[in-house]
Amino acid sequence: MKIILRIIFCLSFGAFTLQANAHHAFTAEFDPKAPINITGKVVKVEWINPHAWVHVEVEDEEGKTIWMVEGGTPNTLIRNGITRETLVPGTVIIVRGYQSKGRLCLPRCIANGRDVTFPDGSKVFMGSSGTGAPRDGADPRESKR
Amino acid sequence: MKKLFLCVIALPLSFQIAASEMEGHTEVHDLMAYVLDPAAEAIWDSAGYVITEEGEVNLAPTDQEGWDKVKNGAKVISESSYLLSMPERALDQTQWVALSMALKGMGERAFKAAENEDAEDLFKIGAELYQVCVACHQTYWIKEE
Repeated sequence: MKIILRIIFCLSFGAFTLQANAHHAFTAEFDPKAPINITGKVVKVEWINPHAWVHVEVEDEEGKTIWMVEGGTPNTLIRNGITRETLVPGTVIIVRGYQSKGRLCLPRCIANGRDVTFPDGSKVFMGSSGTGAPRDGADPRESKR
Repeated sequence: MKKLFLCVIALPLSFQIAASEMEGHTEVHDLMAYVLDPAAEAIWDSAGYVITEEGEVNLAPTDQEGWDKVKNGAKVISESSYLLSMPERALDQTQWVALSMALKGMGERAFKAAENEDAEDLFKIGAELYQVCVACHQTYWIKEE
């Protein structure tokens, strides 16, 4: 009976996450089979809970695209050495992460950030632990399976 | 005789009422989507910063109405701990209840921060609130890729 209840519970939560943006499981929003590297200039940082958002302007031959990259909580980022003073607009960063489901950039490009590389070469984990993201080695606190 | 008659009538009726009350309970999914999540959003959206090249915008409430919104969310969070702990909803009486009751403390602290109009404290509590959410979701909801 408990197993059935748990399945119903999980399924109902799955439906819920489709409409929730701020607080969600990784797999509800992002595609673990769609890794991406984003290189560009930080234009905006939303230093908010439950996820910080870093807006990165990517420029290529087709023009400019803004990627909204979801990170962990600001507190998590601070613990990893990312602060409001280090992640500032104008900084060119490389983000390794995963694209949103659909990968269509509609209405905007959204990704889940796993780690960020700063101009000095330092690479820092910028994601959330325990949200169901792939164990890809980005999070130093979790072991690879 | 009259009393016995009343008992005979009342007994099945009371079972019926109990059964309909059980059926009437909001599913955990709906409790999350329509009660807890909006309440948490009220807390999360009321603390933090948006940083652009033009400067920094503090998201903390600037008037009583804004702080009252946080207080409302905080009370909903703390009282939801009881709603989640109800036997009809609890998947177990140990960890489920412990994690649900952790919300009570979070809500009470958020309420206090709103009373004191302490945006920095509210920001910290918002991060801790998310950790409580994640701890529960890791156990009962999220499946890793």
